[in-house]
Amino acid sequence: MSLQSLRESSELLAKLTNTELELFESLSWEVEVRDDEILFEEGEQADTFYVVIEGKVALEITSPGKRPMIIQTLGPGDLVGLSWLFPPHRWNWRARVIGDTRLVVFDAGEVRRQCQENRDLALEVYQAVADEVASRLHSTRIRLLDLYSLP
Amino acid sequence: MTTPVTTSSRLPPEAMLPRPFRVIARKEETADTVTLDLEAEDGESLRFMPGQFTMLYVFGIGEVPISISGDPGSPETLVHTVRAVGAVTQAIATLDEGDPVGIRGPYGSGWPMDATEGKDVVVAAGGIGLAPVRPVLLALLADRGRYGAVSLIYGSRTPSDLLFLEELHAWRSRFDVEIEVTVDRADPGWHGDVGVVTSLLPRVAFEPENTVSVVCGPEIMMKVVAAELASRGVGSGSIYVSLERNMKCAIGFCGHCQFGPEFICRDGPVFPYERVADRMRVHAL
Repeated sequence: MSLQSLRESSELLAKLTNTELELFESLSWEVEVRDDEILFEEGEQADTFYVVIEGKVALEITSPGKRPMIIQTLGPGDLVGLSWLFPPHRWNWRARVIGDTRLVVFDAGEVRRQCQENRDLALEVYQAVADEVASRLHSTRIRLLDLYSLP
Repeated sequence: MTTPVTTSSRLPPEAMLPRPFRVIARKEETADTVTLDLEAEDGESLRFMPGQFTMLYVFGIGEVPISISGDPGSPETLVHTVRAVGAVTQAIATLDEGDPVGIRGPYGSGWPMDATEGKDVVVAAGGIGLAPVRPVLLALLADRGRYGAVSLIYGSRTPSDLLFLEELHAWRSRFDVEIEVTVDRADPGWHGDVGVVTSLLPRVAFEPENTVSVVCGPEIMMKVVAAELASRGVGSGSIYVSLERNMKCAIGFCGHCQFGPEFICRDGPVFPYERVADRMRVHAL
């Protein structure tokens, strides 16, 4: 699937110019991941990021002797992974696929390198990811209110 | 100081008199929420509009306003879904088949069913807020051809707090309605979504300029959903919310549920969002 066709469903990709999208296309490939497979583990090097084409990814936190907890699920069009853009470039959470899932994988190291060389590209990429971070912060704050527990 | 709105004195005296009903079935939806089927002792159906409520009286305990969660097409059974959060609702939650209750009503404005005809309809519910919009969904699905795309986005605290599970599954198996559910917290046994309810909006199909949205849940949730709908192009006059206040008389006399110039019991509980949006930002109201 081309990134152009993913643009409608992906707020991240929708923010990129055609030129930037072509560059991202050259730094990406598609994968199919089976149900319950792990995309990345907490603490691992964040050298990729993903956009979901079809299916679902759960971000989880794990601790010894306890059942993992799902923090958030991400679906079609969603960006999976933020830590690749921010030092020390290590994942804060585990990402596990729920149901057979198709994703576009991006070479995060190369995107970072291109951003260092091209400030306009860097601005666009940081702006797009910052929008995503702001949106997730907003959602997280609402969930912190634990609204549905209130009478 | 606010001035109570005057109300017609021509209300019939029986407006304050509960009708005797009896519990004919009960179903435990979750650990703290029960659905009761009620039947009038006199056999007369209680016709209602989706969105209306009754005053449900547990003899010797007290009376509370509860939205009707049943099928408007089957008014012979009055259905209430009640979460046990206070003395009266705790008592309601313990009622069993055969137990008597008193019912006044139905009261209040309903959801705008006429305004939804020919339109896409986005129903957004949070927590116990699914109960008051269940009659809307039942009415929409009973006459499905009259509406455009129909969808439900529903947020809950955890998977075990989800209401009407069997019905949600049944609706999901239909091809003419989109059902999206999310929870705030879950363990890996849950295969659904985890996140805030607005994250479901991009998943459901609707044409913003031809959409009516019905939103019910905690007030903050309704504000957040209304803001997200507006950002996607749905006019605030096409977004409807259901408000709750301390309703006592339910007929606009006592003033307990006054909300600015209006009484929730008589002028609501359903309001166009554009009519109440400013007031929903006033801390002291």
